[in-house]
Amino acid sequence: MFRKLVFALLAASFAAFAGGARAAAAPAEIKIGTLYASSGNFAAISMPVHYGLKLWVEQMNAEGGVYVKPFHKKIPIKLIAYDDQSNTATAATLYNQLITQDKVDILVADSGSPLTSVAVPIARDHKMLLIDQTGTGAAFFSKDNPYIVLMSDPVSSIWPKYVADFLTQEGPKLGIKRIALLYATNDFTGTQANAVRGFIRAAHAPVEIVYDQGVPTNTTSYTVIINNIRATNPDAVITLGFPNNDISYLRNLQDSGVKFKWQFAIYPGLETEHLEKTVGVKGLEYVYTYTPSSVLEYKAEFGMSLPQFRAAWDKKYGEGKVAFGFNSVAGYTTGLVLQKALAGTESMEQLALRKAIFALSGKLKTIDGTFELNDEGAQIGEITPLGQIVPDGKGGLKFVVVYPPAATTGKPVYPAK
Amino acid sequence: MLEYALLAGLVFGLYFSLVGLGLNLVFGVMRIVNLAHGDFLMLGAFGAFWLFNLYHLNPIATVFIALAVFGALGVPLYYLLVPRLQRARDPEMLSIILFFGLSQVIEALATVGFGPSERSIPGRVLGSGPVHVLGQTFPAAWMVSAAASALAVLGVYFYLYRTRLGYLTRAVMVHREEALATGIDVHRVSAIAFGAGLALAAIAGVFAPFMLGSATPAMGVDLNIQSFAVIVIGSLGNPLGTVLGGILYGVSLMFMQTYFSSWANLLPYLLLILILLVRPSGLLGRQVRRA
Repeated sequence: MFRKLVFALLAASFAAFAGGARAAAAPAEIKIGTLYASSGNFAAISMPVHYGLKLWVEQMNAEGGVYVKPFHKKIPIKLIAYDDQSNTATAATLYNQLITQDKVDILVADSGSPLTSVAVPIARDHKMLLIDQTGTGAAFFSKDNPYIVLMSDPVSSIWPKYVADFLTQEGPKLGIKRIALLYATNDFTGTQANAVRGFIRAAHAPVEIVYDQGVPTNTTSYTVIINNIRATNPDAVITLGFPNNDISYLRNLQDSGVKFKWQFAIYPGLETEHLEKTVGVKGLEYVYTYTPSSVLEYKAEFGMSLPQFRAAWDKKYGEGKVAFGFNSVAGYTTGLVLQKALAGTESMEQLALRKAIFALSGKLKTIDGTFELNDEGAQIGEITPLGQIVPDGKGGLKFVVVYPPAATTGKPVYPAK
Repeated sequence: MLEYALLAGLVFGLYFSLVGLGLNLVFGVMRIVNLAHGDFLMLGAFGAFWLFNLYHLNPIATVFIALAVFGALGVPLYYLLVPRLQRARDPEMLSIILFFGLSQVIEALATVGFGPSERSIPGRVLGSGPVHVLGQTFPAAWMVSAAASALAVLGVYFYLYRTRLGYLTRAVMVHREEALATGIDVHRVSAIAFGAGLALAAIAGVFAPFMLGSATPAMGVDLNIQSFAVIVIGSLGNPLGTVLGGILYGVSLMFMQTYFSSWANLLPYLLLILILLVRPSGLLGRQVRRA
């Protein structure tokens, strides 16, 4: 009897100790560290992504936190965010600070390739998994670096596939033979330019690139360049740049009275509202662009639907200083992927987190489309169809998806009116 | 392509003369470096944007508002900052630090107030359709901006060479201490020149959405670098040398965009290095001393 009593007491105290230990091991908060650019050249693409992520964090915390499988409970999120002011040197210092001083559990990169590029080697050196939101530069991903995953945009080496496929497969039928390619020289658009060249060459179609020039990302004047492109007499013009590039280019194109028969640009699709305000409706008519998830509603099996997200965004950020668009969806998508990964990870170890994120590949469907990774952690799902922006007859604009054939909602207008 | 690049360079260069003019006037008179010059330009651009959006005010009308508002703002700002700077042992170096700080403050406040995104004004506001010049076509807004820049340069020339205040200003530019000794109210002359410098920056800002595509709170830094290149080429301290610097910069930029487009952003630095190596006083350097 005495031995049973002693055993029972020992067992009870062990259970109490073990329970206590488990409770102590669960952190009071999950620290997510990230950067944003409130000013500088990349502010316009950084702030919407950051606001999208913040919206998800606030939603999670309003529900008591995010469910973390290793602790079997919901834990509040602490978002530690610093302003890198679009400066890569500042960003490098702050990424280091997030890892070494703040000791964040999850490291999330700032938006866009330039500000992500400095995080890639830092994360790798510290064996921290870099949650790459929209840094799509193909050079970030390699087989020997397991410390990066791309969340919300397709990697630049495949993103323009539908653009090139349209030109090589549908283009000759329309009479497109001569293509001009103008790109901003940075990881994001430089990689896309390489991809376009590669896809066009590989297609062996009767089209040729007659103009192929890069410009610095801070280029603000395109009138001379437009004249130079016109001199090559192209049937189609592809311009790859950041919002500031697209705004200047499309405004200069409109003001100089030049009309190309087929014109592609990235940001009329990705940040449509912003470009409508800066370029104007007329300047966007008949422009081809990526048809993003902020326009084309994907059936979300996890998280908010597009109308719900739009309503939540307007409620929180209705003052309009940060425009709603593809990048805001991207930030929110990052949150959704983290939510799913934390609910499925075996531990909070970085490689376990990576494994949990990879386990979602091909299965997670959000408002951003199907989340799918290749072996290197690059996003290969969420590819945006090629669309054309056309007048809606009411003084506004609408998207017509023109490629791939399975997704088309109308026929391309060629040559542009 | 060659003719187009040359003509576009001349038009663009005229605008860049205006961009650098205020900076050079301030340096010429006060020997201080206004590193917030580009930020005052940005404020002019946002002023034009908001006045157009709220009241549909044509940017040409905004030019006169910018002239009055920023000219008036410059005078108290001068008395607040510059006399203190000039009492220091190395006012030029200290001015760089002080105005860099001011630049940061302006950019941060503008970002909070306006948001970080690009803002613009439709090109048609300054004239619809392209304009034909010597067989080439240019945006009408470019031609209006260039014409306004030319008028502003002529205005500065008139002020410096045809008014009593201008004579006094040039006297201060030649030798501040001697001007003081002859009884010139150096602070009054300098305060007006400082106000004129800010007003010229703001006027350049009004046309920035047309010449540079859009305006953002962060645009000041790049414009400062370009302004420096322009005034160093022409001659530091010689406001009218800025015109030569601006045109040379504009034409070089357009040729770079035509033949070496990927390297075009190196141009301001290349020109700065070249001029400092070959002719450190700028192309019109000798005239500076004669003022």
